[in-house]
Amino acid sequence: MDAAHSSAAMLVSNYVFPNDLHVHWSMMIVLYPYITGLVDGAFIIAALYYLFDVKSLRPVARFSLLFALAFLAIATLPLLLHLGRPERNFNMLLTPSPSSAMAGFGYIYAVSMGVLVFIVLFVYREDLVELRATSKGWLQLLYRAMTFDSIDLSKDALAFDRKIIRFLVGIGIPITVVLHGYVGFIFGGVKANPTWSTPLMPVIFLFSACVSGISAIILAYIVIRKVKGRSIDPDCIKTCIKTLTLFFIMAFTFEMLEVFSHSYLKSGYHHMVEGLLNGPLASSFWLWQVKICSVIPLFVLGVMGIFKIKDAIYNFTAAIVSAILLLQVLIMRWNVVIGGQLMSKSARGYTEFHPEWFDKEGILAVVIVMAIPFIILFVLSKIFPFWTTDNETNVK
Amino acid sequence: MNLSYRLRLLVVVLSIGVLAGGGFLFKQLLLPDSFGVYGPYRADAIAEAALVPIRHGTNTSCFKCHPYEAKNHKKGRHQTISCEFCHGTYADHVADSKKIGTLPVKKEKEITTLCLRCHNTEIKARKEEVIKTVAMPNHLKDQNVKLTHNCNQCHYVHAPLKYIIRAKQITGLMEAGS
Repeated sequence: MDAAHSSAAMLVSNYVFPNDLHVHWSMMIVLYPYITGLVDGAFIIAALYYLFDVKSLRPVARFSLLFALAFLAIATLPLLLHLGRPERNFNMLLTPSPSSAMAGFGYIYAVSMGVLVFIVLFVYREDLVELRATSKGWLQLLYRAMTFDSIDLSKDALAFDRKIIRFLVGIGIPITVVLHGYVGFIFGGVKANPTWSTPLMPVIFLFSACVSGISAIILAYIVIRKVKGRSIDPDCIKTCIKTLTLFFIMAFTFEMLEVFSHSYLKSGYHHMVEGLLNGPLASSFWLWQVKICSVIPLFVLGVMGIFKIKDAIYNFTAAIVSAILLLQVLIMRWNVVIGGQLMSKSARGYTEFHPEWFDKEGILAVVIVMAIPFIILFVLSKIFPFWTTDNETNVK
Repeated sequence: MNLSYRLRLLVVVLSIGVLAGGGFLFKQLLLPDSFGVYGPYRADAIAEAALVPIRHGTNTSCFKCHPYEAKNHKKGRHQTISCEFCHGTYADHVADSKKIGTLPVKKEKEITTLCLRCHNTEIKARKEEVIKTVAMPNHLKDQNVKLTHNCNQCHYVHAPLKYIIRAKQITGLMEAGS
Protein backbone atom coordinates (compact mmCIF):
# COMPACT_ATOMS: atom_id res chain seq x y z
CA MET A 1 0.00 0.00 0.00
CA ASP A 2 2.73 2.47 0.94
CA ALA A 3 4.52 1.79 -2.29
CA ALA A 4 1.34 2.39 -4.24
CA HIS A 5 0.83 5.77 -2.59
CA SER A 6 4.39 6.99 -2.65
CA SER A 7 4.45 8.37 -6.15
CA ALA A 8 1.81 9.65 -8.47
CA ALA A 9 3.18 7.61 -11.34
CA MET A 10 2.73 4.35 -9.44
CA LEU A 11 -0.77 5.35 -8.60
CA VAL A 12 -1.68 5.77 -12.22
CA SER A 13 -0.05 2.54 -13.31
CA ASN A 14 -1.32 0.20 -10.57
CA TYR A 15 -4.56 1.43 -9.13
CA VAL A 16 -6.55 -1.24 -7.27
CA PHE A 17 -10.03 -0.52 -5.94
CA PRO A 18 -10.09 -0.79 -2.12
CA ASN A 19 -12.60 -3.66 -2.26
CA ASP A 20 -10.33 -5.58 -4.66
CA LEU A 21 -7.19 -5.43 -2.51
CA HIS A 22 -8.10 -8.57 -0.58
CA VAL A 23 -8.50 -11.91 -2.36
CA HIS A 24 -11.76 -13.16 -0.88
CA TRP A 25 -11.91 -16.62 -2.47
CA SER A 26 -8.62 -18.03 -1.31
CA MET A 27 -7.13 -21.50 -0.87
CA MET A 28 -10.27 -23.25 0.38
CA ILE A 29 -12.00 -22.26 -2.84
CA VAL A 30 -8.99 -23.64 -4.72
CA LEU A 31 -9.45 -26.97 -2.94
CA TYR A 32 -13.19 -27.15 -3.61
CA PRO A 33 -12.96 -27.69 -7.39
CA TYR A 34 -9.83 -29.79 -6.85
CA ILE A 35 -11.62 -32.22 -4.54
CA THR A 36 -14.78 -32.52 -6.64
CA GLY A 37 -12.47 -33.01 -9.62
CA LEU A 38 -10.73 -35.94 -7.93
CA VAL A 39 -14.15 -37.49 -7.25
CA ASP A 40 -15.15 -37.00 -10.86
CA GLY A 41 -12.01 -38.58 -12.34
CA ALA A 42 -12.05 -41.54 -9.96
CA PHE A 43 -15.69 -42.17 -10.82
CA ILE A 44 -14.84 -42.18 -14.54
CA ILE A 45 -12.40 -45.07 -13.94
CA ALA A 46 -15.09 -47.01 -12.04
CA ALA A 47 -17.64 -46.25 -14.77
CA LEU A 48 -15.29 -47.53 -17.47
CA TYR A 49 -15.22 -50.90 -15.71
CA TYR A 50 -18.79 -51.23 -14.44
CA LEU A 51 -20.63 -49.70 -17.38
CA PHE A 52 -18.33 -49.87 -20.39
CA ASP A 53 -16.82 -53.27 -19.51
CA VAL A 54 -13.17 -52.24 -19.76
CA LYS A 55 -12.03 -55.49 -18.11
CA SER A 56 -8.42 -54.45 -17.58
CA LEU A 57 -9.53 -51.85 -15.05
CA ARG A 58 -10.88 -54.53 -12.71
CA PRO A 59 -8.00 -54.17 -10.15
CA VAL A 60 -8.73 -50.49 -9.52
CA ALA A 61 -12.50 -50.40 -10.11
CA ARG A 62 -13.57 -50.97 -6.51
CA PHE A 63 -10.74 -48.84 -5.13
CA SER A 64 -11.68 -45.90 -7.31
CA LEU A 65 -15.27 -46.04 -6.04
CA LEU A 66 -14.05 -45.87 -2.44
CA PHE A 67 -11.54 -43.16 -3.36
CA ALA A 68 -14.37 -41.13 -4.88
CA LEU A 69 -16.51 -41.73 -1.79
CA ALA A 70 -13.74 -40.63 0.61
CA PHE A 71 -13.17 -37.37 -1.26
CA LEU A 72 -16.86 -36.72 -1.89
CA ALA A 73 -17.40 -37.04 1.87
CA ILE A 74 -15.30 -33.91 2.47
CA ALA A 75 -16.19 -31.99 -0.71
CA THR A 76 -18.26 -29.47 1.25
CA LEU A 77 -15.68 -29.04 4.04
CA PRO A 78 -13.57 -26.36 2.31
CA LEU A 79 -16.73 -24.42 1.51
CA LEU A 80 -17.89 -24.59 5.12
CA LEU A 81 -14.44 -23.48 6.34
CA HIS A 82 -14.56 -20.59 3.90
CA LEU A 83 -17.97 -19.36 5.03
CA GLY A 84 -17.92 -16.80 7.78
CA ARG A 85 -21.10 -18.35 9.17
CA PRO A 86 -20.92 -22.06 8.28
CA GLU A 87 -24.04 -22.89 10.29
CA ARG A 88 -26.02 -20.88 7.77
CA ASN A 89 -25.25 -23.30 4.94
CA PHE A 90 -28.60 -24.97 5.51
CA ASN A 91 -30.48 -21.73 4.92
CA MET A 92 -29.28 -21.76 1.34
CA LEU A 93 -30.74 -25.22 0.84
CA LEU A 94 -34.00 -24.37 2.57
CA THR A 95 -34.65 -21.29 0.52
CA PRO A 96 -33.23 -21.85 -2.94
CA SER A 97 -33.99 -19.30 -5.59
CA PRO A 98 -33.95 -20.27 -9.25
CA SER A 99 -32.10 -17.04 -10.03
CA SER A 100 -29.25 -17.93 -7.66
CA ALA A 101 -26.98 -20.81 -8.63
CA MET A 102 -25.16 -21.21 -5.31
CA ALA A 103 -27.77 -23.46 -3.64
CA GLY A 104 -27.57 -25.84 -6.59
CA PHE A 105 -24.44 -27.49 -5.24
CA GLY A 106 -26.23 -28.76 -2.12
CA TYR A 107 -28.78 -30.63 -4.20
CA ILE A 108 -26.32 -31.93 -6.78
CA TYR A 109 -23.97 -33.00 -3.97
CA ALA A 110 -26.72 -34.82 -2.05
CA VAL A 111 -27.84 -36.75 -5.13
CA SER A 112 -24.31 -37.76 -6.14
CA MET A 113 -23.46 -38.80 -2.59
CA GLY A 114 -26.60 -40.97 -2.42
CA VAL A 115 -25.91 -42.63 -5.77
CA LEU A 116 -22.25 -43.28 -4.93
CA VAL A 117 -23.08 -44.80 -1.53
CA PHE A 118 -25.58 -47.17 -3.13
CA ILE A 119 -23.12 -48.17 -5.87
CA VAL A 120 -20.53 -49.02 -3.19
CA LEU A 121 -23.10 -51.01 -1.18
CA PHE A 122 -24.17 -53.07 -4.19
CA VAL A 123 -20.59 -53.61 -5.40
CA TYR A 124 -19.55 -54.83 -1.95
CA ARG A 125 -22.70 -56.77 -1.13
CA GLU A 126 -20.99 -60.17 -1.36
CA ASP A 127 -18.25 -59.09 1.06
CA LEU A 128 -20.74 -57.40 3.34
CA VAL A 129 -22.90 -60.52 3.58
CA GLU A 130 -19.82 -62.53 4.58
CA LEU A 131 -18.78 -59.92 7.15
CA ARG A 132 -22.29 -59.86 8.53
CA ALA A 133 -22.13 -63.59 9.25
CA THR A 134 -18.94 -63.22 11.28
CA SER A 135 -19.79 -60.00 13.16
CA LYS A 136 -21.68 -59.42 16.40
CA GLY A 137 -23.69 -56.74 18.19
CA TRP A 138 -23.76 -53.21 16.78
CA LEU A 139 -21.43 -54.07 13.95
CA GLN A 140 -23.79 -56.83 12.84
CA LEU A 141 -26.68 -54.36 12.87
CA LEU A 142 -24.61 -52.01 10.69
CA TYR A 143 -23.87 -54.81 8.22
CA ARG A 144 -27.55 -55.83 8.22
CA ALA A 145 -28.49 -52.30 7.23
CA MET A 146 -25.77 -52.15 4.59
CA THR A 147 -26.88 -55.44 3.03
CA PHE A 148 -30.53 -54.32 3.04
CA ASP A 149 -31.13 -57.10 5.59
CA SER A 150 -30.73 -59.80 2.96
CA ILE A 151 -28.18 -62.61 2.81
CA ASP A 152 -29.36 -63.74 -0.61
CA LEU A 153 -26.22 -64.45 -2.67
CA SER A 154 -27.88 -66.68 -5.24
CA LYS A 155 -26.88 -66.40 -8.90
CA ASP A 156 -30.08 -64.54 -9.71
CA ALA A 157 -29.60 -62.10 -6.87
CA LEU A 158 -26.00 -61.32 -7.92
CA ALA A 159 -27.07 -60.92 -11.55
CA PHE A 160 -29.75 -58.52 -10.34
CA ASP A 161 -27.11 -56.65 -8.33
CA ARG A 162 -24.99 -56.24 -11.45
CA LYS A 163 -27.98 -54.80 -13.31
CA ILE A 164 -28.59 -52.35 -10.47
CA ILE A 165 -24.88 -51.38 -10.45
CA ARG A 166 -24.97 -50.76 -14.21
CA PHE A 167 -28.09 -48.64 -13.82
CA LEU A 168 -26.68 -46.64 -10.89
CA VAL A 169 -23.32 -46.10 -12.62
CA GLY A 170 -25.24 -45.10 -15.75
CA ILE A 171 -27.11 -42.34 -13.94
CA GLY A 172 -23.98 -41.65 -11.88
CA ILE A 173 -22.04 -40.44 -14.94
CA PRO A 174 -24.32 -37.49 -15.75
CA ILE A 175 -24.60 -36.75 -12.04
CA THR A 176 -20.81 -36.56 -11.47
CA VAL A 177 -20.39 -34.62 -14.71
CA VAL A 178 -23.03 -32.16 -13.48
CA LEU A 179 -21.35 -32.08 -10.05
CA HIS A 180 -18.08 -30.89 -11.47
CA GLY A 181 -19.46 -29.08 -14.51
CA TYR A 182 -21.48 -27.07 -12.00
CA VAL A 183 -18.28 -25.99 -10.24
CA GLY A 184 -16.91 -24.77 -13.56
CA PHE A 185 -20.23 -23.12 -14.32
CA ILE A 186 -20.16 -21.23 -11.01
CA PHE A 187 -16.86 -19.62 -12.03
CA GLY A 188 -17.92 -19.24 -15.66
CA GLY A 189 -21.10 -17.55 -14.46
CA VAL A 190 -19.29 -14.71 -12.70
CA LYS A 191 -19.92 -12.12 -15.38
CA ALA A 192 -17.83 -9.49 -13.60
CA ASN A 193 -14.61 -11.48 -13.94
CA PRO A 194 -13.24 -11.52 -17.48
CA THR A 195 -10.96 -14.55 -16.97
CA TRP A 196 -13.78 -16.69 -15.55
CA SER A 197 -16.71 -15.54 -17.62
CA THR A 198 -16.42 -17.96 -20.53
CA PRO A 199 -18.67 -20.87 -21.53
CA LEU A 200 -15.48 -22.93 -21.88
CA MET A 201 -15.04 -22.90 -18.11
CA PRO A 202 -17.22 -25.98 -17.27
CA VAL A 203 -15.56 -27.92 -20.11
CA ILE A 204 -12.04 -27.06 -18.97
CA PHE A 205 -12.91 -27.90 -15.39
CA LEU A 206 -14.43 -31.24 -16.41
CA PHE A 207 -11.47 -32.43 -18.45
CA SER A 208 -8.91 -31.37 -15.88
CA ALA A 209 -11.09 -33.05 -13.23
CA CYS A 210 -10.84 -36.33 -15.14
CA VAL A 211 -7.07 -35.82 -15.41
CA SER A 212 -6.62 -35.25 -11.68
CA GLY A 213 -8.93 -38.13 -10.65
CA ILE A 214 -7.34 -40.69 -12.96
CA SER A 215 -3.82 -39.54 -11.97
CA ALA A 216 -4.76 -39.88 -8.32
CA ILE A 217 -6.05 -43.42 -8.85
CA ILE A 218 -2.86 -44.44 -10.73
CA LEU A 219 -0.57 -42.92 -8.11
CA ALA A 220 -2.56 -44.29 -5.15
CA TYR A 221 -2.80 -47.75 -6.71
CA ILE A 222 0.95 -47.96 -7.40
CA VAL A 223 1.98 -46.51 -4.03
CA ILE A 224 -0.40 -48.61 -1.91
CA ARG A 225 0.46 -51.83 -3.77
CA LYS A 226 4.21 -51.13 -3.51
CA VAL A 227 3.99 -50.32 0.19
CA LYS A 228 1.94 -53.47 0.84
CA GLY A 229 4.39 -55.53 -1.24
CA ARG A 230 1.76 -56.70 -3.70
CA SER A 231 1.86 -57.02 -7.47
CA ILE A 232 0.89 -54.20 -9.82
CA ASP A 233 -1.24 -55.17 -12.79
CA PRO A 234 0.58 -53.85 -15.90
CA ASP A 235 -2.53 -54.04 -18.12
CA CYS A 236 -4.50 -51.99 -15.64
CA ILE A 237 -1.81 -49.29 -15.46
CA LYS A 238 -1.55 -49.21 -19.27
CA THR A 239 -5.31 -48.73 -19.68
CA CYS A 240 -5.33 -46.04 -17.00
CA ILE A 241 -2.42 -44.21 -18.66
CA LYS A 242 -4.12 -44.40 -22.08
CA THR A 243 -7.34 -42.97 -20.64
CA LEU A 244 -5.31 -40.34 -18.81
CA THR A 245 -3.51 -39.41 -22.03
CA LEU A 246 -6.81 -38.90 -23.84
CA PHE A 247 -8.29 -36.71 -21.11
CA PHE A 248 -5.06 -34.78 -20.61
CA ILE A 249 -4.71 -33.95 -24.31
CA MET A 250 -8.27 -32.62 -24.25
CA ALA A 251 -7.80 -30.74 -20.98
CA PHE A 252 -4.55 -29.09 -22.06
CA THR A 253 -5.92 -28.25 -25.51
CA PHE A 254 -8.97 -26.57 -24.02
CA GLU A 255 -6.84 -24.66 -21.50
CA MET A 256 -4.71 -23.30 -24.34
CA LEU A 257 -7.78 -22.74 -26.53
CA GLU A 258 -9.20 -20.51 -23.83
CA VAL A 259 -6.05 -18.39 -23.74
CA PHE A 260 -6.10 -18.29 -27.53
CA SER A 261 -9.73 -17.18 -27.73
CA HIS A 262 -9.06 -14.48 -25.11
CA SER A 263 -6.13 -13.15 -27.09
CA TYR A 264 -7.91 -13.42 -30.45
CA LEU A 265 -11.24 -11.86 -29.37
CA LYS A 266 -9.46 -9.08 -27.45
CA SER A 267 -12.78 -8.20 -25.83
CA GLY A 268 -13.36 -5.45 -23.24
CA TYR A 269 -10.91 -6.38 -20.51
CA HIS A 270 -8.42 -8.22 -22.67
CA HIS A 271 -5.55 -5.95 -21.70
CA MET A 272 -6.16 -7.01 -18.07
CA VAL A 273 -6.24 -10.74 -18.84
CA GLU A 274 -3.12 -10.45 -20.97
CA GLY A 275 -1.38 -8.46 -18.27
CA LEU A 276 -2.44 -10.99 -15.67
CA LEU A 277 -1.05 -14.02 -17.50
CA ASN A 278 2.18 -12.25 -18.37
CA GLY A 279 2.48 -10.34 -15.09
CA PRO A 280 1.42 -11.74 -11.71
CA LEU A 281 0.78 -15.23 -13.13
CA ALA A 282 3.77 -15.39 -15.47
CA SER A 283 5.52 -17.93 -13.28
CA SER A 284 2.59 -19.99 -11.98
CA PHE A 285 0.78 -20.13 -15.34
CA TRP A 286 3.34 -20.17 -18.14
CA LEU A 287 6.26 -21.75 -16.32
CA TRP A 288 4.58 -24.16 -13.88
CA GLN A 289 1.15 -24.97 -15.30
CA VAL A 290 2.06 -24.94 -18.98
CA LYS A 291 5.77 -25.68 -19.41
CA ILE A 292 6.71 -27.86 -16.46
CA CYS A 293 3.44 -29.58 -15.59
CA SER A 294 1.81 -29.87 -19.05
CA VAL A 295 4.40 -29.96 -21.83
CA ILE A 296 6.75 -32.36 -20.02
CA PRO A 297 3.98 -34.89 -19.07
CA LEU A 298 2.57 -34.63 -22.60
CA PHE A 299 5.99 -35.59 -23.97
CA VAL A 300 6.41 -38.41 -21.43
CA LEU A 301 2.89 -39.75 -22.10
CA GLY A 302 3.72 -39.69 -25.83
CA VAL A 303 6.87 -41.76 -25.24
CA MET A 304 4.88 -44.17 -23.03
CA GLY A 305 2.29 -44.57 -25.76
CA ILE A 306 4.64 -45.07 -28.69
CA PHE A 307 7.60 -47.08 -27.38
CA LYS A 308 7.66 -50.49 -25.74
CA ILE A 309 8.83 -50.04 -22.18
CA LYS A 310 9.60 -52.60 -19.45
CA ASP A 311 6.76 -52.95 -16.94
CA ALA A 312 8.78 -51.77 -13.95
CA ILE A 313 9.98 -48.62 -15.73
CA TYR A 314 6.50 -48.07 -17.18
CA ASN A 315 4.92 -48.20 -13.71
CA PHE A 316 7.54 -45.89 -12.25
CA THR A 317 7.05 -43.37 -15.06
CA ALA A 318 3.28 -43.69 -14.68
CA ALA A 319 3.53 -42.78 -11.01
CA ILE A 320 5.79 -39.78 -11.73
CA VAL A 321 3.59 -38.49 -14.56
CA SER A 322 0.48 -38.88 -12.40
CA ALA A 323 2.11 -36.92 -9.59
CA ILE A 324 3.06 -34.09 -11.99
CA LEU A 325 -0.47 -34.04 -13.46
CA LEU A 326 -2.00 -33.90 -9.97
CA LEU A 327 0.17 -30.84 -9.39
CA GLN A 328 -0.79 -29.42 -12.80
CA VAL A 329 -4.49 -29.53 -11.97
CA LEU A 330 -3.90 -28.01 -8.53
CA ILE A 331 -1.88 -25.16 -10.08
CA MET A 332 -4.57 -24.73 -12.74
CA ARG A 333 -7.24 -24.36 -10.02
CA TRP A 334 -4.97 -21.89 -8.23
CA ASN A 335 -4.42 -19.84 -11.38
CA VAL A 336 -8.13 -19.76 -12.15
CA VAL A 337 -9.50 -19.12 -8.66
CA ILE A 338 -6.83 -16.90 -7.10
CA GLY A 339 -5.34 -15.61 -10.36
CA GLY A 340 -8.76 -14.46 -11.52
CA GLN A 341 -9.16 -12.34 -8.41
CA LEU A 342 -5.81 -10.56 -8.72
CA MET A 343 -7.29 -8.21 -11.32
CA SER A 344 -8.98 -5.12 -9.97
CA LYS A 345 -12.23 -3.97 -11.51
CA SER A 346 -10.47 -0.63 -11.96
CA ALA A 347 -8.94 -2.36 -15.02
CA ARG A 348 -5.64 -0.69 -14.24
CA GLY A 349 -4.08 -2.64 -11.41
CA TYR A 350 -3.40 -6.03 -9.88
CA THR A 351 -3.46 -6.98 -6.23
CA GLU A 352 -1.26 -9.58 -4.57
CA PHE A 353 -1.97 -12.80 -2.72
CA HIS A 354 0.25 -14.24 -0.01
CA PRO A 355 -0.87 -17.55 1.51
CA GLU A 356 -0.65 -17.66 5.29
CA TRP A 357 0.27 -20.65 7.43
CA PHE A 358 -2.19 -20.43 10.31
CA ASP A 359 -5.08 -18.64 8.68
CA LYS A 360 -8.59 -20.13 8.70
CA GLU A 361 -7.94 -20.77 5.01
CA GLY A 362 -4.18 -21.07 5.37
CA ILE A 363 -1.65 -23.70 4.34
CA LEU A 364 -2.07 -25.73 7.54
CA ALA A 365 -5.85 -25.83 7.01
CA VAL A 366 -5.25 -27.02 3.43
CA VAL A 367 -2.98 -29.83 4.64
CA ILE A 368 -5.53 -30.91 7.25
CA VAL A 369 -8.43 -30.84 4.79
CA MET A 370 -6.45 -32.88 2.25
CA ALA A 371 -5.41 -35.40 4.93
CA ILE A 372 -8.97 -36.14 6.07
CA PRO A 373 -10.04 -38.10 2.94
CA PHE A 374 -7.02 -40.38 3.38
CA ILE A 375 -8.07 -41.07 6.97
CA ILE A 376 -11.60 -41.78 5.72
CA LEU A 377 -10.11 -44.04 3.05
CA PHE A 378 -8.14 -45.91 5.72
CA VAL A 379 -11.29 -46.42 7.82
CA LEU A 380 -13.23 -47.51 4.72
CA SER A 381 -10.49 -50.03 3.90
CA LYS A 382 -11.25 -51.78 7.20
CA ILE A 383 -14.87 -52.35 6.13
CA PHE A 384 -14.54 -52.58 2.36
CA PRO A 385 -11.47 -54.46 1.12
CA PHE A 386 -9.84 -52.43 -1.69
CA TRP A 387 -8.58 -55.30 -3.80
CA THR A 388 -10.29 -58.42 -5.11
CA THR A 389 -8.81 -61.66 -3.73
CA ASP A 390 -7.65 -63.06 -7.09
CA ASN A 391 -5.11 -60.28 -7.35
CA GLU A 392 -3.12 -60.84 -4.18
CA THR A 393 0.16 -62.27 -5.42
CA ASN A 394 3.32 -60.99 -3.75
CA VAL A 395 5.94 -59.05 -5.61
CA LYS A 396 9.41 -60.51 -5.72
CA MET B 1 -34.23 -65.69 -7.43
CA ASN B 2 -35.54 -65.14 -3.98
CA LEU B 3 -38.40 -62.64 -4.18
CA SER B 4 -37.74 -61.30 -0.71
CA TYR B 5 -34.43 -59.69 -1.81
CA ARG B 6 -36.27 -57.69 -4.47
CA LEU B 7 -38.98 -56.84 -1.96
CA ARG B 8 -36.39 -55.57 0.48
CA LEU B 9 -34.82 -53.41 -2.22
CA LEU B 10 -38.28 -52.06 -3.05
CA VAL B 11 -38.63 -51.09 0.61
CA VAL B 12 -35.27 -49.24 0.36
CA VAL B 13 -36.42 -47.35 -2.75
CA LEU B 14 -39.73 -46.46 -1.11
CA SER B 15 -37.93 -45.27 2.04
CA ILE B 16 -35.76 -42.96 -0.05
CA GLY B 17 -38.96 -41.58 -1.62
CA VAL B 18 -40.52 -41.05 1.81
CA LEU B 19 -37.32 -39.39 3.11
CA ALA B 20 -37.19 -37.04 0.14
CA GLY B 21 -40.89 -36.17 0.52
CA GLY B 22 -40.38 -35.74 4.27
CA GLY B 23 -37.53 -33.41 3.51
CA PHE B 24 -39.85 -31.08 1.66
CA LEU B 25 -42.29 -31.05 4.61
CA PHE B 26 -39.40 -30.49 7.04
CA LYS B 27 -38.21 -27.62 4.87
CA GLN B 28 -41.58 -25.90 5.26
CA LEU B 29 -41.21 -26.12 9.04
CA LEU B 30 -37.74 -24.58 9.01
CA LEU B 31 -38.55 -21.69 6.67
CA PRO B 32 -38.66 -18.29 8.40
CA ASP B 33 -42.25 -16.96 8.62
CA SER B 34 -41.78 -13.88 6.53
CA PHE B 35 -39.88 -15.66 3.75
CA GLY B 36 -41.31 -15.16 0.28
CA VAL B 37 -43.75 -12.35 1.13
CA TYR B 38 -42.10 -10.03 -1.41
CA GLY B 39 -39.63 -12.37 -3.09
CA PRO B 40 -37.11 -15.11 -2.30
CA TYR B 41 -35.93 -13.47 0.93
CA ARG B 42 -37.11 -12.75 4.48
CA ALA B 43 -39.52 -9.79 4.46
CA ASP B 44 -38.57 -8.98 8.08
CA ALA B 45 -35.01 -8.33 6.91
CA ILE B 46 -36.19 -4.99 5.48
CA ALA B 47 -37.37 -3.75 8.89
CA GLU B 48 -34.16 -5.04 10.49
CA ALA B 49 -32.00 -3.28 7.91
CA ALA B 50 -33.89 -0.03 8.56
CA LEU B 51 -32.74 -0.20 12.20
CA VAL B 52 -29.06 -0.11 11.23
CA PRO B 53 -27.71 3.32 12.34
CA ILE B 54 -27.09 5.80 9.54
CA ARG B 55 -23.39 6.59 9.09
CA HIS B 56 -23.39 9.12 6.29
CA GLY B 57 -24.64 12.70 6.27
CA THR B 58 -25.17 15.13 3.42
CA ASN B 59 -23.19 18.26 2.52
CA THR B 60 -25.99 20.30 4.14
CA SER B 61 -25.20 18.66 7.49
CA CYS B 62 -21.52 19.66 7.16
CA PHE B 63 -22.22 23.20 5.96
CA LYS B 64 -24.21 24.00 9.13
CA CYS B 65 -20.97 24.25 11.14
CA HIS B 66 -18.48 25.04 8.34
CA PRO B 67 -19.86 28.22 6.69
CA TYR B 68 -16.50 29.34 5.18
CA GLU B 69 -15.93 26.02 3.37
CA ALA B 70 -19.63 25.99 2.41
CA LYS B 71 -19.37 29.39 0.72
CA ASN B 72 -16.41 28.37 -1.42
CA HIS B 73 -17.49 24.80 -2.06
CA LYS B 74 -20.94 25.79 -3.33
CA LYS B 75 -19.47 28.26 -5.83
CA GLY B 76 -16.65 26.09 -7.11
CA ARG B 77 -16.37 23.34 -9.66
CA HIS B 78 -16.41 20.79 -6.84
CA GLN B 79 -19.92 21.77 -5.69
CA THR B 80 -21.41 18.35 -6.54
CA ILE B 81 -18.81 16.40 -4.58
CA SER B 82 -19.72 15.06 -1.18
CA CYS B 83 -17.63 16.33 1.74
CA GLU B 84 -17.35 12.78 3.02
CA PHE B 85 -15.67 11.66 -0.18
CA CYS B 86 -12.44 13.36 0.91
CA HIS B 87 -12.88 13.81 4.65
CA GLY B 88 -14.48 10.58 5.83
CA THR B 89 -17.69 9.46 7.45
CA TYR B 90 -20.04 11.96 9.14
CA ALA B 91 -20.81 9.52 11.97
CA ASP B 92 -17.12 9.50 13.00
CA HIS B 93 -17.28 13.27 13.49
CA VAL B 94 -20.71 14.14 14.86
CA ALA B 95 -23.18 12.28 17.07
CA ASP B 96 -26.37 13.84 18.49
CA SER B 97 -25.30 17.24 17.11
CA LYS B 98 -22.06 17.12 19.13
CA LYS B 99 -18.51 16.76 17.84
CA ILE B 100 -17.13 13.37 18.84
CA GLY B 101 -14.00 13.10 16.73
CA THR B 102 -11.76 14.84 14.23
CA LEU B 103 -11.86 13.81 10.61
CA PRO B 104 -8.53 13.63 8.82
CA VAL B 105 -7.52 16.56 6.62
CA LYS B 106 -5.24 15.36 3.84
CA LYS B 107 -1.92 17.14 3.50
CA GLU B 108 0.93 17.35 1.00
CA LYS B 109 1.42 14.15 -1.07
CA GLU B 110 -1.82 12.73 0.29
CA ILE B 111 -3.64 15.57 -1.43
CA THR B 112 -2.22 14.52 -4.81
CA THR B 113 -3.19 10.90 -4.16
CA LEU B 114 -6.70 12.04 -3.32
CA CYS B 115 -7.01 14.23 -6.43
CA LEU B 116 -5.83 11.43 -8.71
CA ARG B 117 -8.71 9.25 -7.58
CA CYS B 118 -10.81 11.16 -10.12
CA HIS B 119 -8.46 13.39 -12.11
CA ASN B 120 -6.79 10.57 -13.89
CA THR B 121 -6.57 9.82 -17.59
CA GLU B 122 -6.78 6.10 -16.77
CA ILE B 123 -10.43 6.45 -15.77
CA LYS B 124 -11.97 5.53 -19.05
CA ALA B 125 -15.60 5.66 -17.96
CA ARG B 126 -15.50 9.41 -17.34
CA LYS B 127 -14.38 11.56 -20.19
CA GLU B 128 -13.05 15.14 -20.30
CA GLU B 129 -16.49 16.76 -20.17
CA VAL B 130 -17.29 15.28 -16.75
CA ILE B 131 -13.93 15.34 -15.01
CA LYS B 132 -10.89 17.30 -16.05
CA THR B 133 -8.50 14.41 -16.50
CA VAL B 134 -4.80 15.00 -16.19
CA ALA B 135 -1.87 12.69 -16.49
CA MET B 136 0.86 12.88 -13.91
CA PRO B 137 3.53 14.14 -14.24
CA ASN B 138 2.65 15.49 -17.73
CA HIS B 139 0.30 18.12 -16.35
CA LEU B 140 3.06 19.55 -14.15
CA LYS B 141 5.49 19.62 -17.08
CA ASP B 142 2.92 21.33 -19.34
CA GLN B 143 2.35 24.04 -16.73
CA ASN B 144 6.11 24.50 -16.20
CA VAL B 145 5.80 23.55 -12.55
CA LYS B 146 8.30 21.57 -10.50
CA LEU B 147 7.47 17.85 -10.44
CA THR B 148 7.54 17.86 -6.65
CA HIS B 149 4.60 20.24 -6.44
CA ASN B 150 1.34 19.09 -4.92
CA CYS B 151 -2.02 19.85 -6.53
CA ASN B 152 -3.04 22.22 -3.74
CA GLN B 153 -0.06 24.48 -4.32
CA CYS B 154 -1.95 25.93 -7.31
CA HIS B 155 -5.52 24.73 -6.75
CA TYR B 156 -7.76 25.49 -3.78
CA VAL B 157 -9.33 22.07 -3.25
CA HIS B 158 -12.87 23.27 -2.38
CA ALA B 159 -13.08 25.50 -5.46
CA PRO B 160 -10.22 24.35 -7.66
CA LEU B 161 -10.17 27.26 -10.11
CA LYS B 162 -10.61 30.02 -7.52
CA TYR B 163 -6.97 31.17 -7.40
CA ILE B 164 -6.30 30.30 -11.02
CA ILE B 165 -9.05 32.62 -12.20
CA ARG B 166 -7.96 35.35 -9.78
CA ALA B 167 -4.36 35.07 -10.97
CA LYS B 168 -5.43 35.30 -14.56
CA GLN B 169 -7.55 38.36 -13.78
CA ILE B 170 -4.56 40.05 -12.17
CA THR B 171 -2.20 39.24 -15.03
CA GLY B 172 -4.81 40.19 -17.59
CA LEU B 173 -5.39 36.77 -19.06
CA MET B 174 -9.17 36.45 -19.19
CA GLU B 175 -9.78 33.36 -21.24
CA ALA B 176 -10.49 30.99 -18.31
CA GLY B 177 -13.95 29.69 -17.45
CA SER B 178 -15.79 30.21 -14.18
